[in-house]
Amino acid sequence: MKKEQSIGMKIWTNHYFRFVLFGLMLSMLVPAVSGGILKTSFLGIVGGTIIFTIAALGLNILLGYSGLISLGTAGFMGLGAYISAYVTGDMGLPWEVGILAAVLIPTAIGILVGLASLRMSGLYLGIVTLCISEIFRKTFDELDVITGGFSGKSANYPTLLGMIDLNQKQTYILLVVVLVLVMMLTYNIVHGQMGRAMHVMRGSQVAAQAMGVNILKYRLIAFALSTGYASLAGALYVHFIKFVYPSTWTLMISLTILAIIVIGGLRSIYGTFLGALVVYAMPDLVLKRIPVLGDINGLPYVFSGVLIILIILFYPKGVVNVFSDLKRLFAKLTASKSSAAKDEVPNDVG
Amino acid sequence: MMSDDPTGAQRTYAATEDEVLRIEHLSINFGGLKAVDDLSFCIKRGEIFGLIGPNGAGKTTVFNCITQFYKPNEGAVLFRGLSGEMENLVGQKVHGIIRKGLVRTFQNMELINELSVIDNVLIGAHIDFKVGGFSQALRLPRAVKEERAMRERAMRALDFMGIAELADAPMGGQPYGIRKKVEMARTFLCQPKLIILDEPAAGLNDVETQQLAQSIRDIREKLDCTILLVEHDMRLVMNICNRICAISFGKFLACGTPAEIRNDPKVQVAYLGEQEKED
Amino acid sequence: MSTFLQLFLRSIETGAVYALATLGIIVVFRTNLVINFAQGVMGMFGTYVITVLFVRRGLPIVAAIALGLVICVGIGFLVDFFIIRRTKKVDGSGKEIITLGLMMVFVGITPMLFGVDPLKLPKVIETGSFTLGGANLSYNSLLNIIIGLGLTTGLFLLLQKTKLGLAIRSTASNERTARLMGVPTKNITLFAWALAMVLGALAGSMIAPSTSVTVNVMDSVQVNAFIACVLGGFQTFYGPVIGAYIIAVLTNLFSYYISSVWGTQLLYLLIIVFLCIRPVGLIGKKTIKKV
Repeated sequence: MKKEQSIGMKIWTNHYFRFVLFGLMLSMLVPAVSGGILKTSFLGIVGGTIIFTIAALGLNILLGYSGLISLGTAGFMGLGAYISAYVTGDMGLPWEVGILAAVLIPTAIGILVGLASLRMSGLYLGIVTLCISEIFRKTFDELDVITGGFSGKSANYPTLLGMIDLNQKQTYILLVVVLVLVMMLTYNIVHGQMGRAMHVMRGSQVAAQAMGVNILKYRLIAFALSTGYASLAGALYVHFIKFVYPSTWTLMISLTILAIIVIGGLRSIYGTFLGALVVYAMPDLVLKRIPVLGDINGLPYVFSGVLIILIILFYPKGVVNVFSDLKRLFAKLTASKSSAAKDEVPNDVG
Repeated sequence: MMSDDPTGAQRTYAATEDEVLRIEHLSINFGGLKAVDDLSFCIKRGEIFGLIGPNGAGKTTVFNCITQFYKPNEGAVLFRGLSGEMENLVGQKVHGIIRKGLVRTFQNMELINELSVIDNVLIGAHIDFKVGGFSQALRLPRAVKEERAMRERAMRALDFMGIAELADAPMGGQPYGIRKKVEMARTFLCQPKLIILDEPAAGLNDVETQQLAQSIRDIREKLDCTILLVEHDMRLVMNICNRICAISFGKFLACGTPAEIRNDPKVQVAYLGEQEKED
Repeated sequence: MSTFLQLFLRSIETGAVYALATLGIIVVFRTNLVINFAQGVMGMFGTYVITVLFVRRGLPIVAAIALGLVICVGIGFLVDFFIIRRTKKVDGSGKEIITLGLMMVFVGITPMLFGVDPLKLPKVIETGSFTLGGANLSYNSLLNIIIGLGLTTGLFLLLQKTKLGLAIRSTASNERTARLMGVPTKNITLFAWALAMVLGALAGSMIAPSTSVTVNVMDSVQVNAFIACVLGGFQTFYGPVIGAYIIAVLTNLFSYYISSVWGTQLLYLLIIVFLCIRPVGLIGKKTIKKV
C-alpha cells in the first residue's frame, strides 16, 4: 500500500515542476549578470550550453532510446540556423515563421534519412549521416547567394509577435523557456507508449516486432525528432549568437554532441545538460579563467579530451549516475546509523 | 488420434470450426539445408498443444515460420485470430502478427532492465494504444486517460501472476523466476487468441515448473485462449498438454495425446536411438 | 583528352593521399573494431612533427620525414599502450567517443607544442615536370602517386604473403581466437596504431605542400577517408582503398565536368543512394542473422 503523499511531496516529485524550477534557476543568471556578480560572457556560454543541450536531447532520443547512430547533427543544426536567418533576414518574415521553417524543412530531410536507415545500420548509418552533414556544410560554403558563403550570415535577436524586440538577456530567457518546454516534451515522449516502443526496438528488433512495434514507423519518428531538435537548436543559435559560418558545422561538433550524451548519461534528460556543461561550458567557464594555464592555447581541448577519455574508461554510465550513486551511498550510511540506533534502543517502529 | 494430415492442394480455408492454427506442408530451407520439411499439424481451440523434438529438430524454426520472422518457402500457416476468420499468415509483416491475436514469448525474454516491472508489462499493450504520438507528447487528457487505463490492465495482469507488489520495482534486480512471470504477464496483456511459449520451463526448478504449469492452465482458462508450448522439459509437456506433435530433423514424426506420443515407436527412436531388438 | 588525362593524374595523386588515410582507418578498425575518429588529427600531428623538424631543426626534407615517421611510430605505440588497451570492457559507442577524446587531445596539444601560426612544408621534389600524352605532371606528383600505389601494394603483399600479415589478418578476423591460437595480438594492435599514425603523417605530408600546415590540414581528407571505408566496405582491407581512389577521381571529374559548386555534394549523394541499394559497400559481404 502506498503511503498518502502530502501535497508538498506531490508537487516536489512532479517532474514538470522540477523542470520549471530548473528553468528558474537558469534564469537567475540574468539578474546575476545585471547585478555585476558574474561577467556578461557567462550569458553567452550558458546560452550556448542550453542550445547544445537541446540538440543533444534529440540525439539522445535517437541513440540513447532508439539505438540509432547519427554523426550528422552538426549539419542539421547548421541547416536550421541558415534557414531561420534567411527567412527572417532575406525574406523579412516574422521570427516565428523562421523558426517553423527552420524546424520543418530539416525534419522532412531527417525523415528521408530515417527511410535510408532501414537499409543499413551501425557504422554505415553513422557515416552516411556524416556524408549528409558534409553535403550541407559544403552547400553552406558554396551557395553563397543564399548563405553568404564562407563569410557567414547574420541574424538578429528574435522579435516576438512582430512587436517585442528582444535583447540579449531576454533572448537568453527565451532559450531557457524553450529548453524547459523541450525537456517536458522529451519526458512525455520517453515515458509513454512511444518511449517504451523505442526501448524495445533498441534492445531487440525481433522482440519489438513481435510486440507489434512497427520498426519503420518508430525509426522515422526517432529521426524526425532528433533532426527537429537539432534544427531548432541551430535556429536558436543564429538568433542568439547573431551570425553563422559554414565552417562551424563539422564532424567535431557532431562528435561533441555525441560525447555530451555519453558523458552526461544516455537516456537522462538532466544528464544531457550536465554533459553539455562538462564538454562545452567547462573549458570556457573554468579553464580560461585560471591564470597562466588559461592563456595556453589548446589547453581547454586537451582538458576536455582527457576528461572524456577518463569518464568513458571509469564511469561509462555517465556523470549523471554520480548523483544516484551518491544518493545510494548516503542512504546506506544513514540506514546503518539508524539500525545501530535500533540495536541500542528497542523501539516500536512501524 | 494421428495427425489430421491434409491431402492435396485443393485446400480451402474452411477448416473445422474449432481449429485455431493449421500448419500445412510447411517447408523452409537455409542455403540448401531443409530445416523444416513438409510439416503439417493443427491446433484446436482451447488446447494446450505441445511441440517437441530433440535438439536441433527445428522447433524454433517452425515457430519462427509461424510468427513470420522467417518466411517459409512452401506451405501455409492458417490462423483463426481476432477476426474470427481463418487467414494465411505467410507473407504478413512480423509486427502485424500480434494484431491478429498471436503472441510469442522469448527465451531471453528481452525485458528492459532500466524500466520498472509494470513498464515492461505495458509493452505488451503496445498495439492497443489508440491515442497518437502528438497527444502523448503534449500529454493531452486523452493520452493521460489511456495510459492510466492501460496501467490498470497491466496491474491486473501482474496480480494474476501473483507479483502485483513488484509493479514499480526496477526490472534490473529481479530474479529469474520473477522475470519469467513478468514476461508471461506481458504476453497475455493484449488478450491474444494463441500464445506460443518458447521453452518457458528453461532454467526453472521443480517447484517453479509446477507453478508454471498451473499458470499456463489458469491463463488458458481465464483468457479463453489456446496455447502452443514449444518445450524440452518432457514432464511439463506430458503433464499439461492435451495433444502433442513430435518432430525430428524438421520432419513430422507423430501427433496425438501424451499417452500416444509416449508409446509411439518413431518418437522413441528419435529421442532414444534404436531400440534393442527382442529375441 | 589531355584535360581528362590531367584531371585523372591529379586524381590519382589525391587518391594516394586518401588511400593512405583510409588504410590508417581500416587497419585500426579491422584489428581493434573501433572507428578511429582521431585518424585525421593524428596525421595532422605527425605532419607537424615532420614540418617542425624541417623548419625549426633545419633537417633536409627527406630526413625530416624519416625521423618524423619514427617518432610517429612511438606515438602510435603510446596511444595504444596507454589508452586503447584499457578499452576492452567499453561497449557501445564508448570506444568511438574515446577516439573523439583523443582527437581533442591532439587538437589541443598541437598549438601548445607548435604554436598557432601556419607552417610551410615544401614538396620533396621542388621543381621539374614532364608531359605525358598532353598532360603535365610534376615530378613531385609522380612521387606521390608512386608512394601511394607502392605503399598500398606493399601493405597488401605484407598482409597476404608474410607471417606478420597472417597474424594481422587472423587478429582482424577474430581477435579472441587468434589470441588463443598464439598470435601476439597485443603486438598486432601496437603495430596497427603505429601504422595508422605513420600513414596519416605521410598523407598529411603529401597534401600539406599545396596548402599550409594548420590544425585543419587533414579535415577534408579525413571525411573522404571515412566515406571511402563505407563505400568500399569495412570487411576487407582493399575495398576501402579502391573506394578512396574512386572518390578522388570522381570528385575531380564531377567538379570539372558537372559543376564546381555542386560536384562533391552530387558525388556524396550518389554514394548514399548506392549504399541504400547495396548497404554492405562495393566489396562487402552480408552476414545472415540468426534468431
